[in-house]
Amino acid sequence: MKTILQAENLAKVYRVGSVDVHALRGVSLGVEEGEFLAIMGPSGCGKSTLLHLMGGLLTPTSGRISLDGEDMTAASDARRTDIRRRKIGFVFQRFNLFPTLTADGNLRLAERIHTGGRGAGSKDGEERRREVLSLLKLEDKLHHKPLEMSGGEQQRVALARAVVNQPAIILADEPTGNLDTENSAIVLNMFQEMNYRFNQTIVMITHNPEAAAMCRRIVQMRDGQIVAPSTGVQL
Amino acid sequence: MDNLIVNNIRQRPLRALISVAGVALGVALVMLFTGLSRGMSNDLQRRSANLRAEIIFTRQGGMELTSSTANLSTKYAEELGKVDGVESVLPVIRYPFQSGRGFGFEMIEGVDWEGYAAMNGVALVDGRAPAAADEIVIDETKAQNNGKGVGGTLEIFGGKPYRIVGVYAPESGARVKMSLAALQDALESPGKCTYILVKCKDGFTPEAVAGAIEAAPATQGNKIQLTRDVVTNIEKSIPYLGVFLRALVGLSAIVSGLVVMLAMYTTITERTREIGVLKALGASRGYIVGIIEQEALVISLLGLVVGFAVSLAAGFLIHRAYGLLFDYGWRWALVAAAIGVGGGLLGALYPAMRAASLDAVTALSYE
Repeated sequence: MKTILQAENLAKVYRVGSVDVHALRGVSLGVEEGEFLAIMGPSGCGKSTLLHLMGGLLTPTSGRISLDGEDMTAASDARRTDIRRRKIGFVFQRFNLFPTLTADGNLRLAERIHTGGRGAGSKDGEERRREVLSLLKLEDKLHHKPLEMSGGEQQRVALARAVVNQPAIILADEPTGNLDTENSAIVLNMFQEMNYRFNQTIVMITHNPEAAAMCRRIVQMRDGQIVAPSTGVQL
Repeated sequence: MDNLIVNNIRQRPLRALISVAGVALGVALVMLFTGLSRGMSNDLQRRSANLRAEIIFTRQGGMELTSSTANLSTKYAEELGKVDGVESVLPVIRYPFQSGRGFGFEMIEGVDWEGYAAMNGVALVDGRAPAAADEIVIDETKAQNNGKGVGGTLEIFGGKPYRIVGVYAPESGARVKMSLAALQDALESPGKCTYILVKCKDGFTPEAVAGAIEAAPATQGNKIQLTRDVVTNIEKSIPYLGVFLRALVGLSAIVSGLVVMLAMYTTITERTREIGVLKALGASRGYIVGIIEQEALVISLLGLVVGFAVSLAAGFLIHRAYGLLFDYGWRWALVAAAIGVGGGLLGALYPAMRAASLDAVTALSYE
């Protein structure tokens, strides 16, 4: 099976005043194509830092990381931005939809950024947007703005925005952290459906063991390191 | 309209309105000042152009745009009449007075009406020529602007009412005229005038006649100007007008730029998290700069429209209230447009660059 994401001995040190804070201490992790991986661990263990490194939002202090064959370790900010544009979909805990745009508008914006403005608003794009929104049961929310939707609906739109451009990987940062149990279950089912039906690779950070239980693999982190297990365990 | 730029503007209508007003202010300042300058200058030129005398004979410093003195002896008229090529001469005394409405000043001329009318092709359309010391004639434009006519009065010197006894056309020289003797008397300058109009005979060029006047011993030491040069030099004769207009243009650009910069800076701060999301979605620096600049462009274009509309309305109202003339030219309209749009785009550039260089992780965690 093809490895989509490969992290080798990643370390990340933040300088806070005169103190070095070691957020990651030699993390190695491989993510296969079609995996649905949960990263768990207590607050401050380095989960978010790892996710940001995977998404090219940060660069490691040492170690190496590549995504779909493209080395992001020494890539410039512009290069990492380009990789994000082409290959990564983000889902955030606080949804982070653009409040002035409708559900469809949020998807179109993502499409416009993905295509660099070329082919934005095309018939293919419109069909894909409708298909994704239909899959996530959001057809009737097409012209609704975020504030006119529930938290669960907003997170489903955020998920739709992440998958609409068919990224190589979806990186989700506590996607159910702001949702009640019912909506969490709905959103997690959607993640699972994306993974099963479309073989979509997903890496999800979560505190929620029930959410993690829906993933195919779980890695546990503590003090900037993966403590168990880093590879091979399928749930 | 599901458009990020338009929706962002609509989300904060008051801020957008202030930004639009800032750009509009810059545009309106340029348009009004240059319009007024052109309007007044063109009005003077138009009236001066109606003078048919080709030469103006005066003393050095005797006749400036904003002042006049009666320091030229009318006896020069006799000497000028003897110069070869001169058909007729006419002494004119000119004096500024405070207009009854608003601010600014006007000119009054003292002339021998019959001679002036014959030389310059003007005629009374109503009433008769001024004769007594308190009688004046005015041109049609002044009659229309002031709502005055024969039988009305104008206060000219020290609040003293002068009776309007005639209305003439076309406009030529000062809009108010009285008899030469009356103005000499009012200024206590008997036998004096401000300048002498010289009409050339057919077949003589103004340059040749001017040369002959300059060469005549009796008229030497005075200033000889061709009327057409006076007409084209009116704008140049206002000291530092060009410098003032350029300074005004610069200030307007700064005002527009600063207002848009402040508005966009606030916008960026408010939307830090959204910029983080854009970066997470893979938006390049150029894309982020682009959407902020597009927002500034929309604001600037709205400001342009409002600025032009305000200029036209203000020009009309000021003209109605104070009689000042505005003449808007394409060149200055283009300069005002460039200032509005350029100032807006330039003002938004710093906030846009700052937004584009935000750290994505910090921006995403912005509260």
